[in-house]
Amino acid sequence: MAMTRTSLAAALAASTLLAAPLQAQDYGTFDGYTLRVKLIGGAQYEPLYTLIPEWEKATGAKVEILSRKSHFELDREMKQDIAAGNTGYCVFSSHTNFAPQYNAMNQPLNDLIPAEVVAEFSPLVIQHATVDGQLMSLPRHSDVSNMYYVKSLYEDADNKAKFKERFGYDLTPPETWDQATDQAIFFANPPDRYGTHFAGKDEAITGRFYEMLVADGGKLLNDDFTAAFNGPEGVMALNWFVNLYKEKAVPAGTTNYVWDDLGLGFAAGAVAYDLDWAGWAAFFNGKDSKIAGDVGVALAPKGAGGKRTGWSGSHSFSITQTCDNKEAAASLIMFLTSHDAQMMEARSGLLPTRTKVWDDVLAEFEAKGDTFMVEVFKVFGESMRDHAFTPPLIPEWGEISNALWPQLQAAILGDKTAEEALNEAAEEVNLIMSDAGYN
Amino acid sequence: MSRLRRYLRDNAVPLALLSPAVLVILLVVLLPLLFSLYTSFSNYRLIRPESLWDVVWFRNYVRVLGDGDFWAALGRTVLFLTLVLNLEMLLGLGLALMVNRLTFGQRTMRTIMMFPMMFSPILVGFQFKYMFNDTIGVVNNALQSLGLTSHAIPFLVDRWLAFASIAIAEIWMSTSIFAILILAGLFAMPRDPVEAARVDGCTNWQVFRHITLPFLMPFIYIAMTIRSLDVARAYDIVDVMTGGGPAGRTELLWTLIARTAYDDSRMGQANAMAYVSILLSIFFTWYFFRKLMAARKHLGVF
Repeated sequence: MAMTRTSLAAALAASTLLAAPLQAQDYGTFDGYTLRVKLIGGAQYEPLYTLIPEWEKATGAKVEILSRKSHFELDREMKQDIAAGNTGYCVFSSHTNFAPQYNAMNQPLNDLIPAEVVAEFSPLVIQHATVDGQLMSLPRHSDVSNMYYVKSLYEDADNKAKFKERFGYDLTPPETWDQATDQAIFFANPPDRYGTHFAGKDEAITGRFYEMLVADGGKLLNDDFTAAFNGPEGVMALNWFVNLYKEKAVPAGTTNYVWDDLGLGFAAGAVAYDLDWAGWAAFFNGKDSKIAGDVGVALAPKGAGGKRTGWSGSHSFSITQTCDNKEAAASLIMFLTSHDAQMMEARSGLLPTRTKVWDDVLAEFEAKGDTFMVEVFKVFGESMRDHAFTPPLIPEWGEISNALWPQLQAAILGDKTAEEALNEAAEEVNLIMSDAGYN
Repeated sequence: MSRLRRYLRDNAVPLALLSPAVLVILLVVLLPLLFSLYTSFSNYRLIRPESLWDVVWFRNYVRVLGDGDFWAALGRTVLFLTLVLNLEMLLGLGLALMVNRLTFGQRTMRTIMMFPMMFSPILVGFQFKYMFNDTIGVVNNALQSLGLTSHAIPFLVDRWLAFASIAIAEIWMSTSIFAILILAGLFAMPRDPVEAARVDGCTNWQVFRHITLPFLMPFIYIAMTIRSLDVARAYDIVDVMTGGGPAGRTELLWTLIARTAYDDSRMGQANAMAYVSILLSIFFTWYFFRKLMAARKHLGVF
């Protein structure tokens, strides 16, 4: 019986997934040892853990999962563990942007992960996971935001003509954030449709502001770790959000939105374009989306500084300093970030951290004829390679974020001018950095 | 000294029996309280364990007391507490009076009345967050479908609407506590004074004002005391619905404290805030207990 090309590819993928990880690399023998771990939980993270029995079978060890929480809950737990000295486990889910906070418990991985394994990861991602020259975590999958848009709105002849008449240039997915502003205003027809929306609270709005600040040529902190974001570039970056809010091109509730609100809103066809994470791609084009088959993907636009927005980071795995079997811990995290484990995550749209997985998953999507996911991986691949950057890798990132976001909201809602809001945030950030001993 | 020895000898058995409980309370309550009091005088940061020994004396308190955001959150918490407690009391009283008059299906009604209490505050927060959402929320959709408004009302953004939305969620969840306690009071109320008043020609309002309500006041103040402690540490609902925002518009003490303690890891400063808020809780508890005692005296219980 002849197999179709798609089913052959699927069968090959399934067989390699089940068999290859343990054949490709020797993960060691740890008979009778129980490895205690704390892992991030949630729908998109859990499928990877179905591979853990394979590692147990190969090494003779057992994995005991002590926690399976959302990222923010896990972050709180990590901080409490550090405070209480309660780090009697070995492996924990981390994030490259949060890892510096866990310095007190983090075991540098340089001597535990062989250099040839590290070399198989994307250099930029490894750079983001390195703090003060030490590899603090092994990246599992990355993320960066790019532009999703409703294709039919951009292809509509009437829209094209009206837009050209009003703004003097062709309607295409925005190349700059100024064009994005024009288009958000053009497409807005509240309450039925808005031009766009943005995550407006917590670290989400800080991150969006931060990447816009960088794209506009600014920076968050000076070399002496004092606030640098309250200059002209910061005001320009913040005013992008302020103007869209004033123009009612975004929903009035956008200052309360975080990622789920954005993803669900775009999938409901409520906005024309959405700067969002790669993990949403399959959902936007899936059966639960009202815009399935009508989703375009483009690189995130450029700011006034000629740089594209690209706030990024990777979910990762770390090892505790107090771990009683660091070799077993290293073995597990290498297994969970192996080529085949990453292929499994990449098939669901998560961005891999190994260079070869990018090529292999693209080839697989091409073989399946999944043109949408091919486009997604090409755009996000370029973004990860050329435009991704992290927040400053210092433990105070969370505190800086908490000083910034209420002030950003105050400017967006019109309680303060952008200058006032940023100056007040800068004052608070300077105090935080001073208390932390930076200056 | 001999009096103390005699007292200990005479009460040896009860003291011995009580000592484990006292010890547990000391360990579980007093030690953490003393520890947190100490940390409020330090630069303690969760992610830097060595900072526990970095004593900054009154710096945290000076900062907290000089921080406009803290005072705004404190003022908002007091306002929230006052509004929510009074509305819950009025609605609970109304519910209890209505259920008390039922002659059929009263038990079922009592059970139904308790449903909101069975939900976790986090679930209630999510439920109301989506109800009041400006684009996909059922309230906005209903208002637009009925033609009452043509635009999306930003319930969780506007300063007072957001405050009211959170208050509504809190009231929805906890009014039944008042209703149940007041209903217990109504069940316990002797009928004789009411019947005597009616014979004397009192109106329904006069019976309620001068007989029923005074009798219920101790029950109301007990409910007030319990709920004042709950509302003063309101966190889950506010955190889920608005996170204290936008722009601090719904920031209550506990959202501010939790963010400072866990997200910022500044446990020392958070504990200084918490000690100020504990004083607030003690004040409300003391106030309602005084009222409770006055009400009991009025009834001639003492």
